[in-house]
Amino acid sequence: MALLFRSTLIQLLTKTTRPMLMTMASTGRRNMSSHSKETDEEFDQRWKAYFERPNIDGWDIRQGINHMNRLDLIPEPEIISACLQACRRVNDHSLAVRYLEAIRYKSNAVSKEVWPWILQEIRPTLNQLGVSAPEDLGYDKPELALKSVDDM
Amino acid sequence: MSSFLLRHVKLTQPQLALMLQHQCRVEASTSSSASIVQHTPVVLDNTKPPPPLDADRMRMHPRIGNREIVGYGLKGKPEYFDLVMFPCPSIRWEADIPAIAELRKKEKGDWKQLSVEDKKKLYRASFRQTFEEFTAPSGVWKWTMGWTLISLAGLIMAYDAWRRVAYNIERPDSFSDEKLKKQLQYHIAARQGPMTGLSSKWDYETGTWKK
Repeated sequence: MALLFRSTLIQLLTKTTRPMLMTMASTGRRNMSSHSKETDEEFDQRWKAYFERPNIDGWDIRQGINHMNRLDLIPEPEIISACLQACRRVNDHSLAVRYLEAIRYKSNAVSKEVWPWILQEIRPTLNQLGVSAPEDLGYDKPELALKSVDDM
Repeated sequence: MSSFLLRHVKLTQPQLALMLQHQCRVEASTSSSASIVQHTPVVLDNTKPPPPLDADRMRMHPRIGNREIVGYGLKGKPEYFDLVMFPCPSIRWEADIPAIAELRKKEKGDWKQLSVEDKKKLYRASFRQTFEEFTAPSGVWKWTMGWTLISLAGLIMAYDAWRRVAYNIERPDSFSDEKLKKQLQYHIAARQGPMTGLSSKWDYETGTWKK
């Protein structure tokens, strides 16, 4: 279930057991527009299948990351894990760190509690693949002070 | 001389133009040693021959150098950008110099073998700034506030200067000395401030100020 609504998100975080997730998902989603009747599980499955293709290449991963970043949601930990596995297949560690940074930035815009939860959920994948979280590289604080492109 | 040659060659044989351009630029190489702290990122590396030509590169090679084109980016153009909405730019930030090629070979193996410095080097080779860096507050608000207030004060002072120049501002005639003296006499006669003020200092018997 993509974490769409702020209220369900906060409830989710205060009760961190998996069965609670499933009961939240069953309440379903109301659409204002009529064009997409996809449920949250189908959405998750579609994106997981996209990243789990065995011969995916860097171009498609970047397309997927950019597209998903524009949607009004933070991806489920399963989708994040699938994307990290895809980065492993194309041997690009910096892309994985960039993806995690994007999710961290987005989740901090919602609430300070989201990112630690996401990290906790994907920690097994991080340990298995050897991907460093942005905090491990010291990228949760700015490192270089470079001139902004707008000022050149 | 060489630019004329290039222009002529470009019109007839574009493939050859690229090789000539590469030959001219080999002397003017800008590659330097890469380090974690980006004093001089190797963005244009002219010591290696250019990568194989395809449509994108034929259009963009002089501008992006030897950097690898890795994605679609914003609109399909091979340009680098650091944006919050689009985390993955279409080209890497730094050129493929041998030091980075070594690290990429290592990257093909187990990522747990990569040290933190290696990972940081790889990141800086692909990206210019981290999310925290290009979203950091710039402090421009201090400049805007300061200059707004200064210009406001300047405008007000300019208006006042124009006012004094344009208008003949006179004091009323009741400020002249005789009139002020008459006013003082009237105040004392009317017993203004009898307890602790003006008239308490006037001696009414003698008609002078009290000693």
